[in-house]
Amino acid sequence: MQYKSIKKEEWDKVLESLLSSHTIFASVINEFGQDYELIEPVDIPSISYNKPKPATSLKSFFLPIKENVTSERSAEKPRIIIGTPNCDIEGLSLLDEIYLDDVFPDIHYRERRENTLLISADCFGIQEHCHCMTYNIKPYSTINADLAVMNLDGNMIFRIISGKGKEFINNIPSASPVDNKEIISAIDKEHNVTESLLSAANKGLPDYETTGKLVTKARVDIWEKYSVHCVSCGACTTACPTCTCFLLIDKPGFEKVKQMDTCQYPGFERVAGGEDALYELHNRFRNRYMCKYVWKPEKFRSLACTGCGRCIEGCIGKINKNEIFMELAK
Amino acid sequence: MPDNMNIYRPLKAKLTNVIEESPLIKTFVLVPEERFAFKTGQFIELSVDGIGEAPFTPSSSPFITEKLEVTVMKTGYVTEYMHSLKPGVCMGIRGPYGRGYPVETFYDKEVLILGGGCGLAPIRSLLYALEGIKDKLRKVTLCYGSKTPVDCIYKPLFDRLNSIEKFEAYRTVDRADEGWKGSVGVVTILLNKIDININNSVAIVCGPPIMMKFGTIRLLELGYQDNQIYLSMEKNMSCGLGKCGHCMMGEFFVCKDGPVFTYDEIKHNPEIWK
Repeated sequence: MQYKSIKKEEWDKVLESLLSSHTIFASVINEFGQDYELIEPVDIPSISYNKPKPATSLKSFFLPIKENVTSERSAEKPRIIIGTPNCDIEGLSLLDEIYLDDVFPDIHYRERRENTLLISADCFGIQEHCHCMTYNIKPYSTINADLAVMNLDGNMIFRIISGKGKEFINNIPSASPVDNKEIISAIDKEHNVTESLLSAANKGLPDYETTGKLVTKARVDIWEKYSVHCVSCGACTTACPTCTCFLLIDKPGFEKVKQMDTCQYPGFERVAGGEDALYELHNRFRNRYMCKYVWKPEKFRSLACTGCGRCIEGCIGKINKNEIFMELAK
Repeated sequence: MPDNMNIYRPLKAKLTNVIEESPLIKTFVLVPEERFAFKTGQFIELSVDGIGEAPFTPSSSPFITEKLEVTVMKTGYVTEYMHSLKPGVCMGIRGPYGRGYPVETFYDKEVLILGGGCGLAPIRSLLYALEGIKDKLRKVTLCYGSKTPVDCIYKPLFDRLNSIEKFEAYRTVDRADEGWKGSVGVVTILLNKIDININNSVAIVCGPPIMMKFGTIRLLELGYQDNQIYLSMEKNMSCGLGKCGHCMMGEFFVCKDGPVFTYDEIKHNPEIWK
């Protein structure tokens, strides 16, 4: 992989100059926690690099919670998103398969994808529920993003991933190639530390394929037991980087408003005659796991769970899916 | 599809006629602002401006592209609104979507069609398609059941079918009325009356879920193989594009992978009859 480096102060100046022509969102830690913020010049020094992870997943930049998908829209400024962890970058590849398919490509999604430069950030350290490695996802990007950034003692090191990322970084005169072996080994060391933490934290957690088999075989009592604490709020699917189900709402003038929806809501599969395959709470609860670990993998190349752990963090019923899988694996 | 086409935007279509088929079922005749081609068994999303849209399989001939007929049962919010519409209003159409009936694979075979209730709507379109290729088919047999004689739609269709060479049509009702002289019982009882070479046949089942389930079971008992039975599945197809997730049936998006499946393709999924 090719790397380029730039001093943090220089990089901050680059970002400030980019703000005149670009919209920049970046991961920021403040009193409310860590999340993406729309960056103004004053925010640049407080951008958080390499800390996992923003509360909101990357999907919200490409699939807004609610939007009119039939109205005309004017061109938006090019966009840069900084600090995305690799679990979200991997999640985006499933969204690409769904929304950029050959038969029915979604033009709004495509415009946003083409208009966005993705600067992923390698994860240095983990959060409580991070388990990307269990699903063979590294805590750093080497594909799918445009660049990946690391802040090593005031030096911003960029891993060049895509042609778009290469063009961007090559246009920054102060960015110089990295051929210092010490820097490369420092990067490797950070990766090793994070990977060790992930392995230790998720010992015994079944891998993706095994999880699919366990979920398929699971008896109804497991779903009934764990869904007792589910209030069908949909926080898990809202927080998830790969859940993208939606509802089309009609407005006068044959306009359509696309609104995020979830199989966890009652009535999601109800048809006009009243039949509802997901009427019972435990069936809706099971549906999410079947969809992620069994059905989507049969249909798509990309994973439908990237191990970000947000569904666990966001659950007000304190349901931990990994506890279910550990119980099934016993 | 053109690269810059907005997949969510409907094509406008003028409602030119509304035909009352039964107390709960009407056929809407639509003239789209552009010619609209579909394969029989594919479905469309039909919208009432500002109210909502719902999936329907056209009931008209796939050989006609300047107008489209959609037969709708009054059963929910959108369909109730549709039933109040008068000719002259503008409706919206998206599609056609999904996989229809593979009629080319029916050549040299006998086609048995088992229909129930409003399931006759997509079947009528299929019958038009089969009529167009009847020289290449051995035989087409329709067995149709409705709750009562009044609930039977397209009543003139049956006499017309019986007058077409190689076609025959049978009817039954769950509950007879005073004037009814025909068969009484669920649609599968008609299977006892027909003469069909099962080995060289395909069976098509379309109707309410309960009828599809027991129809399929009976066909299997008669000796049909899993891959000889075609089912038209009904789910909440909201976007029609394989994206919104509402019509997922196991690993399938019914809107994109179906709505027509062979029983063989979906039998492993216990949720198909739900």
